[in-house]
Amino acid sequence: MHMATVLTINGETKSFDAPPEMPLLWVLRDILGMTGTKFGCGIAQCGACTVHVDGKAVRSCVLPVSAVENRAITTIEHVGSTPAGAKVQKAWLDLEVIQCGYCQSGQIMSAAALLAATPNPDDSDIDAAMAGNICRCGTYVRIREAVKQAANGRQS
Amino acid sequence: MSGKMRILTSVAAIAIVAAGLGVWIIRGPGPLDFAGGTKVALADYRAGKPTGVPAKLEKASLVERGEYLAKAADCMVCHTKPGEKDYSGGLAFKLPFGTLYSTNITPDKDTGIGNYSDQEFLNAVQHGKRRDGARLYPAMPYTSYTFMTDEDVLAVKAYLFSLPPVRAKAPDNTLSFPFNQRWAMIAWSAVFNPDTRFAPDTSKSPDWNRGAYLVEALAHCGECHTPRNLGFALDNRRKFAGAITAGWRAFNISSDKATGLGNWSDQDLISYLSLGHAPGHGSASGPMGEAVDHSFSQFAPEDIRSIVAYLRSVPPQPSPDLPATTAPVAPASHKDGVTADARGKKVFASACASCHGWSGESPVSPMATLTGTWAVNDPAATNVAQIVLSGTKRHTPDGALSMPAFGNAYTDDEIAAVANYVTARFGTKGSKLTAKDIAELRGQTAE
Repeated sequence: MHMATVLTINGETKSFDAPPEMPLLWVLRDILGMTGTKFGCGIAQCGACTVHVDGKAVRSCVLPVSAVENRAITTIEHVGSTPAGAKVQKAWLDLEVIQCGYCQSGQIMSAAALLAATPNPDDSDIDAAMAGNICRCGTYVRIREAVKQAANGRQS
Repeated sequence: MSGKMRILTSVAAIAIVAAGLGVWIIRGPGPLDFAGGTKVALADYRAGKPTGVPAKLEKASLVERGEYLAKAADCMVCHTKPGEKDYSGGLAFKLPFGTLYSTNITPDKDTGIGNYSDQEFLNAVQHGKRRDGARLYPAMPYTSYTFMTDEDVLAVKAYLFSLPPVRAKAPDNTLSFPFNQRWAMIAWSAVFNPDTRFAPDTSKSPDWNRGAYLVEALAHCGECHTPRNLGFALDNRRKFAGAITAGWRAFNISSDKATGLGNWSDQDLISYLSLGHAPGHGSASGPMGEAVDHSFSQFAPEDIRSIVAYLRSVPPQPSPDLPATTAPVAPASHKDGVTADARGKKVFASACASCHGWSGESPVSPMATLTGTWAVNDPAATNVAQIVLSGTKRHTPDGALSMPAFGNAYTDDEIAAVANYVTARFGTKGSKLTAKDIAELRGQTAE
């Protein structure tokens, strides 16, 4: 008999039917209707699908659901209720980082995971954490500024 | 006899002895000679049944038994081109002297093996002789399959003949002279094909004998894991010491404690063979990943245990180019640890870190952990570069994990840089790959 998959997403328990190899991104968007997380390349190359698993930024497009049962998953819908996520979203609005916006869920998730682990990142920390998130509009300069502002609470 | 004739005769005699000696030296021992025990004919062996199928399939139909054995012999992987019908052939083996294509072994009468009689099928599998009399190249591992019993070979035939015939003609081989001279394989085969059926060793346990039959006759592990000699045949003096095959490194599977399997627990080996992963030892990828998916994962548990019992008995063979111990976990911060190769670090940050972590312990799954694997501890970085180029996907149930292929996303320079960075950060010694090395690896993979 097929067993339902149970995931903990944004603190809530979600139960659904999905094959064990289905990528988490598909579950989020197609089964659970949580479309804040974006599909970009599908091969972990662009970062648009970034979510947190146990607080770490991972690419949900290559992550089979079987690998994340019993782990704490956080998505863009909920990251604003974490301390780091709230600071990042405020800085993003203050500096009007976003242009087209498609990559920004992933950018914010990566930035929030960075600040949760490294509260005062320098440029090399930002490079290491954000290199996997591509922005076709080229908002990188404002992203870097916003990460710094979120870290120290003021515009640099 | 004149003086001149005498000299000529002596020279000829010396040449023949020298040639004989040369053949004897090059050929070396057979794959089971290391065991040294008393061999008996299979019919005279009473302690167990090393051949055939596991007990639960004894009563199964001939076709079902053949299916198990065909999977154990892993026929499908080589005889199927990705995306085409199973067993319909056409997979390209890129060799330094041209390309060989595997044949269609579905029962199609024109392009497959539909016209093969039992004896003709035995000739091909055990003796390397095609139906039309031409010789097979040893890419077909008939020097291993020759140890299979007639009964088992014919069960495989029954299974293949139960499949739907597929009309598919493999492309012609493109081997250069002199390798395109198939007749030369008559001499090769005479020297290198033991051409004998499996003979159990009464000094060893029934389990060991079953393992020996599975490893040597069916699974043909040595074809990738044993280095080759001057004649491109297996050099069993260095049995299971590891070798490069199809552009991937098949690591040492002898019982050497440092660089072989000597320090793997039984459970590690069972897990690696049946699931493609053992904690702390990494995941099977490339040709071994295919062997797990299509062959080992289908073995009965008792057969996997027999394989483990047999592997344990293979004498240790050190791999001097590998470190005595694998590197420990790397620092959690990108700032600590190696700093060399900024370009490699940049690629790693972009494409690798979110799954593999900066420490090498994956935040996602133990299957993606780099720490402790031979791939990152191999200073040649062969398998690191290959997996970046071609990715991996295990089909073992649950926990299945895949890595995308980055071969089309990054240049040869970038792939060399990231392989050098990864081996330096997570292994004991960084590799020194160049773009040229990556281009060569791209050219060697079977497709």
